[in-house]
Amino acid sequence: MRRPATKPDHPRGPVLWSSLEELSGDPAFEAWVDAEYPVAATFGPTARRTFLKLMGASFALAGLAGCEKSPFVAALPYVEQPQGTDVGIPKYYATAVTLDGYAQPVIATTYSGRPTKLDGNPDHPATQGRSDVFMQAAVLELYDPDRAQAPNRRGEPVTWSDVQHHIGLLRQQWTQSQGEGVALLLGHSTSPTLIRQIEALVREFPKAQIYEHAAVGGGRGLDSTRAAYGQPLQLRPQFENCDVVVSLDDDFLGAGPHQVANARAWSAARHRTADQPGLALYMAEAVPSTTGAMAEARVAVDASRTWLVAQGLANSCDVAGAAKPDLSAKEQRWLDRAVHACRSARGRALVTCSRFGDDATASWVARTNEALGATALLGAAAPVPNVANAKRLSDLVSDIGRGAVQTLIIIDANPAYTAPAWLAFRDAVAKVRSSVHVGIHRDETGALCEWHLPLTHTLESWSDARSIDGTATIIQPTIAPFYDVRTVHQVMALLLGQLDPLPAAPVRDTWRAALGNDFETKWTRCLHDGYVPEQRAAPPNIHAAATAVVPPPPDDGLDIVFRPDPTIWDGSFANNAWLQELPKPLTTLTWGNVISIGPALAMRKDLTNGDHVRIRVRDRSISGPVWVLPGQAPNTVALTLGYGRSKAGRVGDGLGYNAYHVQPIDQPWQTKGSLHKLGTRETLAVTQLHHRMEGFDFVREVNAADTDHPKHETTQPSLYPPKPSAQNAWGMVIDLDACIGCNACVAACTAENNVPVVGSEQVKVGREMQWLRIARYYTGDVEEPRSFFQPVPCMHCEQAPCEMGCPVHATTHSPEGVNQMVYNRCIGTRTCSSYCPYKVRRFNFFDYRPASDAPEHAAHNPDVTVRSRGVMEKCTYCTQRIEAAHVAADKENRPIRDGEVVTACQSACPTKAIVFGDIRNPDSEVSRLRGDGRHYVLLEEQGTRPRTTYLARWKPPEGQG
Amino acid sequence: MTDRTADILPQDQSLGRVSDQLTGIPLHFPTRRRWWIAMIIASALLLLLVISTTALFTRGVGIWGINIPVNWAFAIHNYVWWLGIGHAGTLISALLLLTGSEWRNSLNRFAETMTLFAVICAGIYPVLHLGRPWYLYWMFPYPATMGIWPQFRSPLEWDIWAVLTYLTVSLAFWYTGLIPDFAAARDRSRKRGWQIFFGITSLGWRGSAAHWQRWQQAYRVTAGLAVPLVVSVHSEVSLLFAAGQIPGWHSTIFPPYFVLGAAFSGFAVVAIIAIALRSLFALGNLVTDDHLDVLGKVLLACGLMTGYGYLFEVFDALYSGGAHEMRTLSDRLTGAYAWTYWGAIAFNFVPLQGLWWRSVRRSGWMLLSISISVAIGMWLERYMILVTSLYRDFLVSSWGAFTPTFWDWSTYLGTIGLFLVPFLLAIRFIPMISIFETEELLHKEQERPHG
Repeated sequence: MRRPATKPDHPRGPVLWSSLEELSGDPAFEAWVDAEYPVAATFGPTARRTFLKLMGASFALAGLAGCEKSPFVAALPYVEQPQGTDVGIPKYYATAVTLDGYAQPVIATTYSGRPTKLDGNPDHPATQGRSDVFMQAAVLELYDPDRAQAPNRRGEPVTWSDVQHHIGLLRQQWTQSQGEGVALLLGHSTSPTLIRQIEALVREFPKAQIYEHAAVGGGRGLDSTRAAYGQPLQLRPQFENCDVVVSLDDDFLGAGPHQVANARAWSAARHRTADQPGLALYMAEAVPSTTGAMAEARVAVDASRTWLVAQGLANSCDVAGAAKPDLSAKEQRWLDRAVHACRSARGRALVTCSRFGDDATASWVARTNEALGATALLGAAAPVPNVANAKRLSDLVSDIGRGAVQTLIIIDANPAYTAPAWLAFRDAVAKVRSSVHVGIHRDETGALCEWHLPLTHTLESWSDARSIDGTATIIQPTIAPFYDVRTVHQVMALLLGQLDPLPAAPVRDTWRAALGNDFETKWTRCLHDGYVPEQRAAPPNIHAAATAVVPPPPDDGLDIVFRPDPTIWDGSFANNAWLQELPKPLTTLTWGNVISIGPALAMRKDLTNGDHVRIRVRDRSISGPVWVLPGQAPNTVALTLGYGRSKAGRVGDGLGYNAYHVQPIDQPWQTKGSLHKLGTRETLAVTQLHHRMEGFDFVREVNAADTDHPKHETTQPSLYPPKPSAQNAWGMVIDLDACIGCNACVAACTAENNVPVVGSEQVKVGREMQWLRIARYYTGDVEEPRSFFQPVPCMHCEQAPCEMGCPVHATTHSPEGVNQMVYNRCIGTRTCSSYCPYKVRRFNFFDYRPASDAPEHAAHNPDVTVRSRGVMEKCTYCTQRIEAAHVAADKENRPIRDGEVVTACQSACPTKAIVFGDIRNPDSEVSRLRGDGRHYVLLEEQGTRPRTTYLARWKPPEGQG
Repeated sequence: MTDRTADILPQDQSLGRVSDQLTGIPLHFPTRRRWWIAMIIASALLLLLVISTTALFTRGVGIWGINIPVNWAFAIHNYVWWLGIGHAGTLISALLLLTGSEWRNSLNRFAETMTLFAVICAGIYPVLHLGRPWYLYWMFPYPATMGIWPQFRSPLEWDIWAVLTYLTVSLAFWYTGLIPDFAAARDRSRKRGWQIFFGITSLGWRGSAAHWQRWQQAYRVTAGLAVPLVVSVHSEVSLLFAAGQIPGWHSTIFPPYFVLGAAFSGFAVVAIIAIALRSLFALGNLVTDDHLDVLGKVLLACGLMTGYGYLFEVFDALYSGGAHEMRTLSDRLTGAYAWTYWGAIAFNFVPLQGLWWRSVRRSGWMLLSISISVAIGMWLERYMILVTSLYRDFLVSSWGAFTPTFWDWSTYLGTIGLFLVPFLLAIRFIPMISIFETEELLHKEQERPHG
């Protein structure tokens, strides 16, 4: 997305060149030309050279900062409206987007053929309508102007017929050699169609080799189960059946393909009954996580000591061979509480460990679970079907090294960026005679390879994928491709020798075989529902391996752990401005990554937030700003992957440091290293400057005993007469015991309400525009803090200070109790925001709208006004959705039903922490919650009488420090 | 306030010579060179304002350092500061006219002129600070086709009326006071252009007894209107803050606190200008040491009353026991912007104590330095009231920070140009000390021993 205030100038702008020929050989310049003058991409090689020469003068004059063209023109009304199209009436499609190759089932809302909003698919068994930030933000990627728009060979645009011709030549060679020297490198994919096509390719060319490389997901996550159970397993813990969960560094509520399902199950277990807390969580972790924030008891344990705690746990649970390890007093205290809880909930207590953890931990945890009788709760299943017998990236590099690879085809992976630097993958590719990159962006790998074949976005594709629980999910297009691009299955079909394959055909072929008789009916059903009902395989019989894994004695130095970024993931979302501007849980950082350290280490090295440090791992080092995270273990340094990209696009380039540079091949998640202070510092783009709660009770906690008291209605007296209410009086209750701070609501609100992206410079001066913020607080000791999340949307006060302040009636009160913002009446005095005790209003300090010809406009929700410069804006309770419900109810001449209006934040929330409805209706869910013993009002003493209120968190039992 | 029997003007001067001396300033301008230097500097500042305003209107208020939560800063803060300065003019002129304090007569003209231009400087800020200034007219109750009126509950709406009323009455008061002097200047001018200019501006004044009677009535009625306005306009400005619930703003002491603070800064600027004019035009015979003495006393009194406001603000917070009020108090005293609080205390009240000594009050340069210190101190106070309240209000998660940008400073310095350019023009073209009133006083003083 374009950001007006911080639009990056091309770094080469002011440089003078001796000749234009020299300039046009520069790959960076070519990349820029591709983006800036897409028209040039349609020229043949010769014409393009002429074009460059002709344009040379004006480039030089303009200092390479000219405007850019866009294929997106204004939407024009039909002269004669075709039958069956209702302009302004949305259409909904069940489809999916992917994360780490796993399907995230969605319902896509499209207006006039343009998808604008993705919500979870409520019918899908894996997520049941819930969502996460990646799902919410995927729609923006569709409109990313930096996407590859046409095939390309060594930077020169080519046509698909050139590609077809070249593949034809390759296939002739392969036929002779049976595929000798052909290497196919895939990102992690669960697509049955892709797997079928690859199997077909291997059948045709038996000597072709298949490799898989996923920076974060894929097979790498199953390694620890191999060690613990002797077989690769996909573990899907059944939290809904647990009373106690002991997590050893397992951030199961954190971002990732598993988040939605886990959060839903955890929340269901946690709130099994209304009058007392359900599932109790005990967390031992090195780096504070959202899961740790929700824990009953949490202890900070350095990454390299996690296995000792696991062994201690095993010892306390009477696992054979588990010696009592040497634990610190804090660790022991935590362990005793956790063990006590497990013992009293036998059969409903589960121990989990991180897929990023070491084998020793996994092994002890597996045996402890067996001792606790919790194996069934693990939900162990065979891994989601994958490309069989795929070798690893390191195998590929060594195969290239011994000259065994002539043709390298990389599909939907970016190893040039994500491969650990020690592999020297870039040098390896240079040795391959012919390399092809197939991907949605011409990224680092695309620029390295001879050929780049652009892919469609998922929302433009016919495809399929499996969700984290293995459910096959059909991906259908919601819009015709914008650019001259193909689906991955079309590219595979080309490799399989088909000419001009249709996009849907390969997917239909896959499922025609699987669905059997009456295919069309079943197929239509699957498309409508978004998934394929299949017989589940019986769960495998698993036994923990009896031999304890003993990790090698640790090297000296700090524990360096690597984690995917909570909003950018492995870097594949780097060019998504919504995700870049989404505050990361716990740090509220945007537009970059930090090296997070604990307060003890910060004290030792005299570091504060923003100080630059160098992290050295073996013979490599990177440098970046530190962030002191309260509650991080004293000797652990956490690096997040996904930043430091050079060819992500205009949004994602040049942000943060690249942690892949120091990620060892043999210890990808946890290693040893050192930290040195550099003496320089930077201001970080955080959305919350202060995190300690400072003794206030913004987030309240209650004991189960205290909630029995009937909730007394306390309303502060007011001089103003009460306002008469309309039939509906809208209100919202947010359960702080359920909020895991995942930001899905913020992302959903951004997508639903056309919230602009402002860029890191504006965030740094405090002008982020998100209508909803997740306030994050901690209390207690900085070494052992308790963390809290509190979503703060507009409170919709009944006695709203903002309404009194506006001189022009631009913010008013609706009869339904909604505090309205009339954008076109606002003159921008900002009085409303000055008076707002909750500071939930956002102001357009500049014109934050995308440029008039930017494709991002197509992503806008047509039911929500796009705000101009100088106008205040804020949460509206999704007034467009309320109005839509009114229309629907009025047409049927009935009142609005409870649950009929679902705000965007509410629908996105994976834990159902947000409930919205009519507080005049005593039977509504929101009315019931307002009478709950945990119900309270934020800043109640201010007498603003907010409609948005909170449910307090359950206080952990005594003993928690 | 002054000893009525003591003479404030030296008696060894003739009435005609005073008239010649004062009308001679515009007619035969004595210090052209210095005036031009001052004018060039002032015009440069005014140009800076034009550039800043152009940038502002082109790009938006984002060029300033404001954000959420500190979405009011320099614009509102300088607005209050300028408006405060504007107060002393009316207060000196109108209140002292009504109470018959005759020492005002040498000071009232330029004090009123200062008021006028200070209010203009203040008045542009509420326009500049709007997100969409081109819709300013929505704040007026005009017959809009949609039938929408402004919102009269809003302190901003009151503000518009308070400031406009104040400006109108100040202008009327200033002009009424000028009429006899315009006539005097008309009678003494030799050049045709000057004759026409002063002829028109003196509105046909002939100095008849009937003229004087009507004029006295009009002047006193306008003065009677102006005095309550001084109180109301700055009380109203304080409500801009006090009406909000933000800790540090939401206090009943704000109206008197603001009025006194305004008078304090206003008298300081009057003293600055009096001393500057006196030395520039050698008016020691008319703006005497006794005048400075009186000004010093008034300044001291206003300063002490403002100090009382400071004390009671602290008391209010402590007495309320409100956690947020206490938090804001501690942020003010020790937070990131503590320098504005302690700066305000230091500049406002420490040098001020010098005014207890008569020799300090009667020394031009010492009074000048104390007054400059007060002007700076009051500027810091406004900064403090705005920023330290907003940057950390109720919810910790919305705490922020404010750093002024180049454009914040350039707009502020630019308004000093906007003040100085018309003020220098007024010095150049208008008798800066009221001729007839000075003469009246002189005449009375000369007559007194005989009567």
